[in-house]
Parts: sequence; structure tokens; C-alpha cells
Amino acid sequence: MELTMINLKLKRREFLQLMGWGTAGATLAGCDLPTTVTLEEGKEEVVAYLSPEEYAIPGVGVWYASTCAQCAAGCGIHGRVREGRVLKLEGNPDSPINHGKLCQMGQAGVQNHYNPDRYTSPKLRRDGALVDITWDEAWKLIEEKTGAAANLGAGRLAWVTGTLSGHQAALMAAHIEAVNGKHYGHEVITPAVWQAVNKDLFGEAMPRLHLSKAKLALSFGADFLGTWLSPVHFSTEYAQFRKAPRGILIQVEPAMSLTGANADLWLAIRPGTEGALALGLAYMLAQNGVAAPDALQGVIGDYAPSKVAGITGVSEARITQLAELLRKHAPSLVLPGYTAQGQAQGYETTAAIMLLNVMLGNVGQTITSGGEFPFPQLAAKSGNTRDLIAFADAAHNKAHDVVFFYGVNPVFTAPAALNLADRLKNIPFKVAFTQFPDETAAQCDLIMPVASYLEDWGTHAPAYQPDGVIGLQQPLMETLYPGTPGLGDALLTLLKARDAGKYGAWNNYYGYLKQAVTSLPAQYRSAGQSDEAFWQSVLQKGQLKVEVKSGALQAKPLSGFNLSAPATGGDYPLTLIPSPRLSFWDGRHANLPWIQEAPDQITKVVWDSWAEIHPATAARLGVEEGDVLEIASEQGAIKVKAFIHKGVHPDAIAVPMGQGHDDYGRYARNRGANPLRILNPVTDAKTGELALYGTRVKATPTGERQMLVKAGRDNISQRGRKLAATISAEQFRRTEGV
Amino acid sequence: MQLIGTSRTRAGRYGWLAAALCMAGVLNTASAAEPVSMQYPIAPQGSYKGLDVQQPIEFPHDIHTAVNKINCLYCHTYARQSKVAGIPPTSKCMGCHSVIATDKPRIQKLTEYWTNKQPIPWLKVHDVPDFVHFTHERHLKRFIFDNPEVMNNLSVDTVAPVCAMCHGDMRAKTVARKDKPMTMGWCVSCHEKNGGPGDCWKCHK
Repeated sequence: MELTMINLKLKRREFLQLMGWGTAGATLAGCDLPTTVTLEEGKEEVVAYLSPEEYAIPGVGVWYASTCAQCAAGCGIHGRVREGRVLKLEGNPDSPINHGKLCQMGQAGVQNHYNPDRYTSPKLRRDGALVDITWDEAWKLIEEKTGAAANLGAGRLAWVTGTLSGHQAALMAAHIEAVNGKHYGHEVITPAVWQAVNKDLFGEAMPRLHLSKAKLALSFGADFLGTWLSPVHFSTEYAQFRKAPRGILIQVEPAMSLTGANADLWLAIRPGTEGALALGLAYMLAQNGVAAPDALQGVIGDYAPSKVAGITGVSEARITQLAELLRKHAPSLVLPGYTAQGQAQGYETTAAIMLLNVMLGNVGQTITSGGEFPFPQLAAKSGNTRDLIAFADAAHNKAHDVVFFYGVNPVFTAPAALNLADRLKNIPFKVAFTQFPDETAAQCDLIMPVASYLEDWGTHAPAYQPDGVIGLQQPLMETLYPGTPGLGDALLTLLKARDAGKYGAWNNYYGYLKQAVTSLPAQYRSAGQSDEAFWQSVLQKGQLKVEVKSGALQAKPLSGFNLSAPATGGDYPLTLIPSPRLSFWDGRHANLPWIQEAPDQITKVVWDSWAEIHPATAARLGVEEGDVLEIASEQGAIKVKAFIHKGVHPDAIAVPMGQGHDDYGRYARNRGANPLRILNPVTDAKTGELALYGTRVKATPTGERQMLVKAGRDNISQRGRKLAATISAEQFRRTEGV
Repeated sequence: MQLIGTSRTRAGRYGWLAAALCMAGVLNTASAAEPVSMQYPIAPQGSYKGLDVQQPIEFPHDIHTAVNKINCLYCHTYARQSKVAGIPPTSKCMGCHSVIATDKPRIQKLTEYWTNKQPIPWLKVHDVPDFVHFTHERHLKRFIFDNPEVMNNLSVDTVAPVCAMCHGDMRAKTVARKDKPMTMGWCVSCHEKNGGPGDCWKCHK
């Protein structure tokens, strides 16, 4: 069932008044009156329906299916709707991605939707200040600057977006083609390097992983429970993996992630040396009679454990033990995380790790073909950092006259070295299709407020497909701010202006999407099902299963394989790890109070940033928890409070990604620090991706100390009361067989 | 019937707890495990002098109930199946008033709202804070639908006294006025006398 209200031809005011027992305070929260919540008699309005809806009982919630858009994993959701307002989100149990589960970012989606810092009407920058304009004026201005009459040359209009998929991606491609423009897809948290390696190694970018079938998982920083690929999906895979016979999880990373905290064996590795460890393991496996792939044949001779121990800081005994475990527990699964991929030699490092899978015979067992998505025009166009650099260069070279931003905040996520805010001044007309006053909107000339994902139509075909599925996104309530278009509606409006003959047939994106879905081949519906019945069934389920043809996955030979050890010591003795979190993500969720309030998975810190440093590093610097450190790279410095724990390599300093906003609303502004700002603009040579985890920094105490606010102070001390029973690590390893 | 089914499920789910509390002497008269013989509830003590609220239309509850003997639940129909009693949709008013009393000024005002497709902006009189989970459904089940005294002689004059426990006697008023304190102590006094749940999270959840 779809929300019938959406189709009613009502004015905004009337809609509000229709909403049953919704109180005036609540219903007008985003409108022209201040919020009034009171028990006093005669203060709040309580407005009845004009005519009752059959299914709507005031006080009783109705659940609708949709698709989450808080990250690109595309989890299916159910939203509870009461009196026309969405109140609670849960996972869709039928989704092959998240199986009814939903992470905290997904749960906090209602705070994205009801956020008090949303833009409510279009704004135009005049003499530096934003002034309100009408929707008509805004669209007219866009038509003037980008319509056929503007006569923009080839490539003069650019879209910068996050990951897109589904029919929005198809319409985006159509608009790019219509204006002969250019598209940049940007995400900071991206498996782009891994995808490039997969493409070369397997011939496909996104193979399917079967963690549940592995007997042992060796993860080089792949935080698959937190931030890697499709975390909610891998959490259910992980639960299977841990069922008897219990799979062994070994995590090797420079700074502990949520997945690392769940591992049987967690090893700190010197940042940037993951490739050397992978080759060292290949060496040991080869010594024990496991045939090495051709690409490694001439390489691994240099990686005897004694040398690898020196490079990585992982002891010889451990290397031997890991190789032995890998040999004994087949099939296994070896995964490269973001820290392994985000290096100046990210491609080689990732390739070395993936080649271990080839060597161990995991290909075809725990790694299989992802298959061919039947609708290539709907497949995910994943964002990356290469496009960010390309866009910054294009802006520098004055290659664009008009740029549209959607679902992306590059001014925040770009390293200061790219100088993006300044370079944007070279683009005469910048339009932010955005919900929030973020750092990029602050540089734009026109603000076009957009619908939240709970108000929008769409389809989503996430890049990582555990089982072929297109998620359907439907509004869970009427838009809070009249006029705000969803991405699909905005694109349709732009396309209509270009080609009324082709796109004029659809009044809105809803109509377009309905026709697109009902035009799918007959195999997707049950025999004799009418268009309307089929459409309703897709809406009810919130998804459409698609058949993905998949063959056998075959490893191809890789060539030109060369890995050198990263530098150590010098003026900048530490490596900065801007660690992603299943909370702020790349910074997009820093404006959600629930996310700020939820204690960090590792440090338990709330509402702040911190720098994780090893006790030995802290002793060398003479700092304690709460001491403010200046972390400086060649590109700049940030100030962060120290958090001292052993879950970080002594050569690393980890600062969570996503805080340190200059703008982005009341909850995010001026809170913590943004480690992305001080990254060196170094890229991986093969893929052009930013080496996010390869920046060398130095940390200096500023002499200032502030309390680091976290849930559970003294959380290590149990005050002699055995609050949580413990056993020694040695005993644990004996019982767990690691 | 759906209502009763739902309620039974709930009783089943929490029945063990009610039984445990009963054994501990927390609940003394009624529990989900052992229904007591129904009778008119003992109304909670306490009164409150509420404000006279100027509603957009001075709706005469007294004419509808005391004179025309229309059951409360005919208009406040959601009360039996939801936490809120609900204000009747305007279409329900017009069901009668498109022909009845069309010459009266209040009905003409109602008709004007209806013709303009404008819902009537009634002002809320009875409310509890957001941290209180009060449900009409449960209270109506206990005091009306499970109460033979009401059900064997169902009319506005048997139902209205139940509603009056919290809302005052609507048969004697035009628009609603708050006549009861609606404080926690007042709620609890009724729960104690009538065997309602005494555990905190029943209402604060």
C-alpha cells in the first residue's frame, strides 16, 4: 500500500489540518509557528480528519516498506507511520541485505528527516548573503543558467554526487547526456581500490563474499561489522560464521575497529605495511608447499618472516602461526580493509591481500562471482576520491560554468591541500541540492532544499549485492517543506526543460518510477497480475528481487607487482588514521544528535573527537587522557584531545572521521576536528585514489587539558568486583583454538 | 472482536508477571490470571476546576448525550481500538447534520467548515505528558466491554459514567472542561481501588 495522502491534491495547510490527533505543536514544528507542547487546556490544536481513512486509526501506527539511504548499502526498512508522521524505522525482514536488522545510522534516519536545521525554502546568494527566493524564481534561474538557451558547451555543466543507483542514476545519466555534461561521484569511505584490484584479478569489480562459509577470516583492517561495504549484511553473515563449528576471526590493523574488537586475535600492524605481511604469509605458505600464484612467484622470496617482522612490527612467531592457521582452516577468507587500500601503494597492498585468497583456494569457495546485474543502467555508480581530485582540478582549470551538488559535501571531505573552497570560486554558478547548510552549500550561489529520503521516491541497487535486489524507496510521509523536490523530481524537471517531448509525459518522478517499474519484463510479476497490482506488491515489499546471472569466478594473472616499505621516523613520526565509524560515517551524520550521543564503539566518547594513541607514544609525548594534542602534517594541523589505549599501533594516531564541521547545523558545528583536512594529497599510483591512511604527522601537547566526556568513566577498572569476568588472553586462545 | 483478541494476547504475554505480582501481594483484587466479577468501577477521588475553553464551535455534548441519547462511542469511535479516543471526522457530523438542525448557527458554521473542506481546529482539553502511556483501549475493555453491568444494558447512560471517571459527566456539559486533576496520584488511587496495574513501566514505558 502506498500512502494515499500523497496523492491527495491538498494545500500544505490543509494537509496539516487533516492529520488527526497530531497536535499543533508537533505538526507545525517546521512551519511558521513555534513549537508548543503543553498540558494546558485550550493551547494545542487537535484536528480531526475531514473524512476518515479506512486504514488510519489515530494513535495506531501503520508500517510501510522503503529503503534506507543513510549509507550506500541499501538496506530495506519498515517505517512506522502514525497520523501522517513517520516515527520509527526498523529493518525489513525480507531484505537479503539486512534481514530485518538496522544499524544506528539507519535508526537515526528520522533525525535526518525532522532535523531542525533543514533548509525550508530556496535561497540565493546576493552580495555574499543568502536571501530567500521563491521556488518559481529558483527554477527560472536554473533554466536561465543551464537551459538550452544558455548554450553551455561540452562538459561545462557538472554534477557532483555521492553514490547513485537505480532510476535516479538512469535519469542522472540522461541529464548529463542531454547537457553534454560531466558527472563526478565522490565518497570518502569507498572500496574503489579493492574494486580495481578485483576487476584486474577476477574480471569483475564486486565479487560476492561468503563469510558464513569460511572457517577462518583474516581481515587486514576490513571493519565489516562497522563500515566496510555492507556492514549490516556482514553482521548477519558473521553470526553464521561464529556458529559451531566456530569460525576464527583474526584482525590485523593499525587502529582497532569494531570488527577488531570482536576478533579472536587482534594484531597491531605498522600502518601501511599490510602488503608486506600478506607477502610474508604467502612466503610461509609457499614454504609449506602451497603453490603461489604467478604474480607472487618472483616477489615473495624477499619476504622471509624475519624481514617482514622488521617491516610490520608483527613478530616472526605470529607470522608463522598465522600462516599455519590459514593452511589448516580452509576455506578461509582474507579481506583488505580501507586502511590497506588507502595507501600510496594501495593497489599493490590490496592485490597482495587478495592474492592470498587465490593462493589459499578461496576463490570459488568463499569468494564467488557477483554476477551480471540485469539492468546495467540501474547499477550503482559508486563514488570515490579520484573523482574528487578530478573535480578539484577541473575547478582549478575553470572547466565548468555550472556545478550541481547532491548528496555530497566535498568542501568538508576534501583535504585542505586540494584547496577546494577557493577553487570553487572559479565556477560562476554553483547549486547545492541539499537538505542542510553544510560546508559545500556555504560556497554555493543557489540553495535548492531537497526532500529527505523519507519523503522521496527512488530505487536503489547497491553495489554490493548479496542476492540480486532493487530496493524501492517510497515516501513515509508528505514532505515537511512544500516544494522541496527529491532527486528524481529535480532531474525530471531539468530534463523536461530540455526535452519536453520525451519527459513531459510524467507529472512527477512518482509517475515515472511507477511506469518504469511496471514496464519491467513479465517474469518479475506473477502470471496475470495487473500493472497496478504489481506496483502495489512492489511497494508492499519495498523491494524487487532480480535474477543475477553468475558464472564461475576465475582468477586472472596479475602483472607488474611491486611493493616497497613505507617510510618511518623523520620529522613526522606517526601515521594519521582518519578512522571511519558506524556513526558519523564521512561526516554526513554528525548533525544527528542520537549519533553524537551514542558512545563510540571503541572509546565510548560522546559529542566529540579524540586522538587514539598507544600508551608508549603517550609516555614519550608525556600526555594523559584529555591532553589536547596538536596533530600536524605538512598540510596543516588540528587540535584533538588524547585518548590513550592499547588498541592502536605505537606508530599510528587515529582520529575519527566526520567531526570538525564549520557549518552543518547546531549539532555538528564547531565540535571536534576533521582529520581529512590535514591529509597529504598523495594518491595511489594505479587507481588515482587518495591515500587516506598514508599521511605522516607529528603530535605535540599544547599544554591544555579538557575532560574527554565518555560513557563509563574509569571503564577499565572493575573496582575489584568482577563486574565482567575475564580470562587471560593465553587461556582464551587455548579454549578458542587460536 | 479484534479488540478482544489483541487484549488477550497482551494478557498472555504479561500474564506471568501479573501472576507473580499477585502472589507477592502487590495486586490484591484483579489480575490477568483471575478475572473478578465486574461491577461499576470505584471512581477516583479528586476534582479540578478547569478553564472554560473557547472552541471554534461550542459543541453541545449535553444535547447529543442527555437529550438524544447518542452513545459516546458512536462519535469517539477510536477509543475502543486505540490509545486515543479521537475526535470524530467532520464527515461523521455531516452524516446527520446535512439534514438535522440545519437552521442553527452552530450547524451553519459546521457546514461552512465542511463546504470549504477545512477541518475544525478544536482545542485540546484533556492530555497527559509524553512520558505517560495512557490507552483508552485498555480502560474501555476493563470498564465497558468486560463489564456485564454496562454490556447487558448498553446505552449512553451506562457508558457515560465510565467516561466520566476521567472526563466528568459529559451529559451535563456543552464543550469539554477539565474536571479531574489527571495527576499521577489521582491515576494511582483509581488503579489501587479497581485493581489496575501498580508497576511503574505499565504507564512509563
